[in-house]
Amino acid sequence: MPNLALAEGMTPVAVTLGALVLAVWVIAAALEVRRSERAGAAVLVSAVVAALCVAGAFFRPTRVKERGARLGPRVAVLVDQARRLRLPAEHGDRRSVALAAAAALGRRWAQAQVDVYGFGEQKLVPLSLARESTLGQLGEESDLTGALAELAAAPGERVRAVVVVSDGRFARPAESVDEAGLALAVGTLGVPVHTVRVTEQAPADASVREVSTVGAAVAHQPLVLHVTIGCAGGINCDEVPVVVRELRQGSSPAELARGTAHAGTGEATIDLEVTIERAGQRVIEVALEPQTGDRVPENDHRLLTLDVRRERVRLLHVAGRPTYDVRQLRLWLKANESIDLVAFFILRTNGDQPNVVDDTSELSLIPFPVDALFTQHLPTFDAVMLQDIDAVEYKLEPYLPALEAYVRSGGGLIMVGGPSAFAGGGYAGSPLERVLPVELPRGGEPYDLRGFVPRYTMAGRVAPVLGGVRQLFGEDLPLMEGSNTLGKPRPGSIVLWEHPERRVGDIAMPVLALGEMGDGRSIALGVDATHELGFGELAERTSGRAYGALWDGLLGWLMRDPRYEAGRVSLDGPCIAGEPASFELVPPPGATGELAFTIERLGVPAQTVFSRSLRSAGSSEHVDAGRLRAGGYSARMRLGAAPPTRLDFACEDGGRAYADSRPDPARLIRIARATGGKSVTPDELGELPLPPATEVMVERRASALLPPWVWALAAALTLGAHWLLRRRAGLA
Amino acid sequence: MSTGTRLGRRTFAAVLGAVTFAPERAFAFGEAGAFRARLLAAGKGRPDDARVAGTARWGSELVRRTSAPAHEEPETVAADRPAIFREPFAVWCGTEDVGALSLSEVSGLERFLRLGGTLVVDDSDPVSGAFGRSVRRELLRALPESPPVQLEATHVLFKTFYLLDRPYGRVLGPPRVEAIVRGRNAVVLFLAHDLLGALARRGEGWAYGAEPGGAEQREHAIRFAVNIAMYVLCSDYKDDVVHAPFLLQRRGRAR
Repeated sequence: MPNLALAEGMTPVAVTLGALVLAVWVIAAALEVRRSERAGAAVLVSAVVAALCVAGAFFRPTRVKERGARLGPRVAVLVDQARRLRLPAEHGDRRSVALAAAAALGRRWAQAQVDVYGFGEQKLVPLSLARESTLGQLGEESDLTGALAELAAAPGERVRAVVVVSDGRFARPAESVDEAGLALAVGTLGVPVHTVRVTEQAPADASVREVSTVGAAVAHQPLVLHVTIGCAGGINCDEVPVVVRELRQGSSPAELARGTAHAGTGEATIDLEVTIERAGQRVIEVALEPQTGDRVPENDHRLLTLDVRRERVRLLHVAGRPTYDVRQLRLWLKANESIDLVAFFILRTNGDQPNVVDDTSELSLIPFPVDALFTQHLPTFDAVMLQDIDAVEYKLEPYLPALEAYVRSGGGLIMVGGPSAFAGGGYAGSPLERVLPVELPRGGEPYDLRGFVPRYTMAGRVAPVLGGVRQLFGEDLPLMEGSNTLGKPRPGSIVLWEHPERRVGDIAMPVLALGEMGDGRSIALGVDATHELGFGELAERTSGRAYGALWDGLLGWLMRDPRYEAGRVSLDGPCIAGEPASFELVPPPGATGELAFTIERLGVPAQTVFSRSLRSAGSSEHVDAGRLRAGGYSARMRLGAAPPTRLDFACEDGGRAYADSRPDPARLIRIARATGGKSVTPDELGELPLPPATEVMVERRASALLPPWVWALAAALTLGAHWLLRRRAGLA
Repeated sequence: MSTGTRLGRRTFAAVLGAVTFAPERAFAFGEAGAFRARLLAAGKGRPDDARVAGTARWGSELVRRTSAPAHEEPETVAADRPAIFREPFAVWCGTEDVGALSLSEVSGLERFLRLGGTLVVDDSDPVSGAFGRSVRRELLRALPESPPVQLEATHVLFKTFYLLDRPYGRVLGPPRVEAIVRGRNAVVLFLAHDLLGALARRGEGWAYGAEPGGAEQREHAIRFAVNIAMYVLCSDYKDDVVHAPFLLQRRGRAR
């Protein structure tokens, strides 16, 4: 049915003004006719007709034809895409059930606009159920509250209903929220939120549901781990052994604590006290003994990367004899408030004649507690400094295997030169030599008497370790009175100073070298006169600050202080077994060159699982390392000849998302009830009500009642006629 | 064990009597950090040859009694020469007022002490005390913020190697030592006991008699010199917590 429309395109002000002028004109004409004795009805009629014709010319009336249609309502289907949905449902896994339910809803509500989205802990993502590539996981947790808020804020047609397809174990709204809070959390849209419960039965599963710590992890200090063990799906966990281990590079996992959880068919929390001796990122495994019938073995253990801090660096400084070099190092160590120093110096040898009758009452000397230091107390030290001490004379030999194991399991070692250091101290061919960054010669002179000035290598010039010394002295270094004979650097070690004249094979002999051995780091310093940087003619130029700069760098690097690392490696997100893991590699500012990136699996045997070389332009690089298996890993980045930067991390099977495998159908029912929706199983989709259709206009056609010139002509003619009639009636 | 060429590991020279004035250094490996009782030359007055030889004896006693390496040839360094910075220890002895030090000498001493050097001021004539007083006066010009203080009888100086109950020298002197302390460290030790006099040699024998204790007092003086050397080399090592129970027990037993 066509409608009539006036003044299309004109502003309301113009329309009002036009209508007002015409009305005033007609009223004025009527008053004139009434006052006049001669004017008759013809004048008034002509005025009205003329006014109508002028109105037609002014308002241009049009004929409008419109056609409407009924459209299906817009419905948003939110499919839970958290990693947890890979857990088993009654039939298959929950994700398959959820996707099948979403597809079935699309078919069932073909007349409606059904938009399918995936939600997790990130932004909503439109899903195309036919394209697997769009169905990626969206994280560890499900944030339904955030997803509904995002949907409400989205532009476009408002949804008339929401259908949530999930197992109900959301991070938000939380399980503990009351009804009022729930309505607030999921009622943002003001429309019914229906829910589809993809599973209602917990699988038979015993799991490590949660591991938390009381306070921060500090090296050498006890740390309590709260471990929550849960059993569901018919598994009875009356006595479940739980063990905590530390995964280490190049060695077997070290057991830190063990306990038993009594969870029955519910949940139990046990406190396990662990002491981690090494600072930095340490990979800890919390595992329960697998239970018979467990359908989700992936969550029987959790892998955590603990960032273990140091309150103070605990150092063992052992010196074979007191010298100015020992003095300078001790003064520096003692002046450093962040160092907890335990020192033992050999002050008397068997050949010395102190001229006393009674050693114990006349001398202040105590026996060198070599056994206690290198067995019982060794793991409590962050680093050991062996300064010019003879391993044979002072009976260190039996403890060198323990020192090797100490370094491989994460300890730091510095061997400082002198006549009784390195080969001169009987270390050549010993287990300790294997964790030094350089080989030691088995024959020949153990040291050389010629004085020399050490020379920086290319690596030494760019290494942050020596940045402080170079800032003070540039290329200058003090004269050293002789040098220990050091062999070739071990693979992966870095030489920072070299001898300008002495050679090892076809290369210059190392003087200062750094190396990574297993989980630990070691430094070889083949001279005994670095004290000249602190007290000497050259040192006086800088008030002795170069000595502190050197040892700050050496000890800082040994303790993995980020300031002395050549760059930074970090994971782009949590590492989940079987999913792509990517890393950000950040070289030091301005550093360019060949960048080598490797990933090694922690434990024995050492196994390189990923390796790539790329050209660094000085900016950060992202490297996709592919899909890793569950376990602990050590990633290393090396830029050119600089010392490597290391990141230890864990890849979990499912991670936090798998920790609690129980669905929460009750929460889905509460959500539906709170919003006036309905909660169903995938078999009951037919019970979900479809919102009513929406009426929309799809076509509108407008045509002028008369052409504009006709209205203009009619207005002119009628106005002319009216003017003639007025003149005849004697009006002005 | 591979011994290699260990020539001169602990005994580097045994040339006594030949005083050198900070010669060009030519050490072997391991010698650069060896203790040496260098004589400081500043202001008026110079020690006699016997006391100069005493500095060498100080080194040889250290080598004979302890594991510490030491140089056994005398060396004199001037306060206003760069050589003063080559090693962190010097001993300044004399009998009379040193007079007003030159500005370069004061500056050299100040930089030596601020860099971490240790200085022993050994009054060879403690009865008059003129030397000690004048050195205190001049050192106040170098370190005006650090006046001397008395060290406690429990100071680490008395237990760095030998357990001693007081300072000793050619004369018995006062039972306490005064020192300028910077931070944790005593950087200047003021001795009124003529320590170098107890170590002084003339020919094959001792140059001066130790009074009033004779040989026993000289032995204690040598032990005190060894303790000073160990203090220079190890600082407060014997104050470390690990030594405390042992030393308390021994002191108790000695009493």
